[in-house]
Amino acid sequence: MSFEPKILGIACNWCTYTGADLAGTTRLQYPQNLRVVRVMCSSRINPSFIFRAFQLGADGVLVGGCHPGDCHYNTGNLYARRRLAVTKKILEFSGMEPGRFRVEWISASEGNKFAEVVTEFTKQIKNLGPQTQFKISQ
Amino acid sequence: MAISFKQIEDKLKTEAKGLLETGKVSLVLAYGKGYDEKHPMPYVARRPSDADNIVFNEFCTHNMARYMVRYPAGTKMAVAVKAADSRAVIQLIQEEKVKREDLVLLGIPAYGMKNPKTGETIDSKTTCGLYNPVLYDVLLGEEVHGQPVVSPYDVLAQYEAMDKEARFAFWKKELDKCIRCYACRKACPMCYCDPCFIDQNKPKWGEKSPESAGNLMYHLTRFHHLAGRCIDCGECSRACPVNIPLYLFHKKVAKDCEDMFGQAAGMSVEDKPVLVNFRVDDSDKILE
Ligand code: SF4
Ligand code: SF4
Ligand code: FES
Repeated sequence: MSFEPKILGIACNWCTYTGADLAGTTRLQYPQNLRVVRVMCSSRINPSFIFRAFQLGADGVLVGGCHPGDCHYNTGNLYARRRLAVTKKILEFSGMEPGRFRVEWISASEGNKFAEVVTEFTKQIKNLGPQTQFKISQ
Repeated sequence: MAISFKQIEDKLKTEAKGLLETGKVSLVLAYGKGYDEKHPMPYVARRPSDADNIVFNEFCTHNMARYMVRYPAGTKMAVAVKAADSRAVIQLIQEEKVKREDLVLLGIPAYGMKNPKTGETIDSKTTCGLYNPVLYDVLLGEEVHGQPVVSPYDVLAQYEAMDKEARFAFWKKELDKCIRCYACRKACPMCYCDPCFIDQNKPKWGEKSPESAGNLMYHLTRFHHLAGRCIDCGECSRACPVNIPLYLFHKKVAKDCEDMFGQAAGMSVEDKPVLVNFRVDDSDKILE
């Protein structure tokens, strides 16, 4: 059986989540490996969510927020950009493959971009294979 | 020129006595006798006569900025600060944990401090490698000059060069040793959260017993919480009973923050901590 990765998506309510909805209503096709959790803003994302997701078996984590300058709360994603950049560096120095974590800015009108990013990221994670380093073995 | 620790000790005593006598401060955070020479302890002088108990020698490595946050806001206090310790004070001022006007900083230019456990001289390999306090009111001795300037990040090269699998194996081996005594966070001037995330039950962020998964969660998150705040005093690693080189990870995160945001922790009271700040033109490249 081919490897079907589990990918956690964390999307902000105002842009990326709405963009995902748009991708759905316009019936765009994208892989079903993504499980999306909606948060009010990308700055709501505690970096520990990402570490924990990998421990609980995620093969990849995709964070989506509004484009810088477009955050519903004005500056949320500007803080998030710095914070998540640090998260990425920490994952990398711990020995985790950095390609398993990605941040993308996807607006409410970019249903296309949402579908493209998910397709491409899923392909990338498939190539990387199962994530075993952080995963807690049951 | 060798620093005379005895001279520093005498000056510390005199300053502490004077400050307590005049009532300028209600306590002085310094060092006192431990069970032997090699193990001096943090000491809080409250009465002028307490000043006689103050000691200073090459093993006084503790970062006394750690203790400032224990006292109610507005407490006037004097703190003995070596180079990195003064950076911790600056960082805590930036974080509005203490106010500059409540503090009298007794700066100690210290060269040749020693790790009591290993006897090694402490330098840029395990700390920020500065010898002179960045901020002080009184300097207890002459500034140290003429020592080679070595980047505190040089020691990282060999770890950065490792391939991912080897680095993961390295950290797994190190972090698996952790017995979760939490001496690292107790020693750290920046670990003042109550409760610490790892002690919370709702949500439970990670396993609390000493095993791989919980250790990884505790340490990665702690490294993250110290991003842009760790001033590289090295106390966490010296406090660790199983000798985990935590300083390597902290140094790496500090280096990345400096590269990405152009600011080192605890260097100026005017700065804002990098992760509670942003620039509109921060590049998306940092996310790649
Ligand atoms: S993390 Fe370690 S080196 Fe950094 S400030 Fe805390 S005790 Fe010092
Ligand atoms: S001091 Fe060392 S053993 Fe204790 S909790 Fe910290 S890393 Fe673990
Ligand atoms: S609301 Fe979308 S990133 Fe802040």
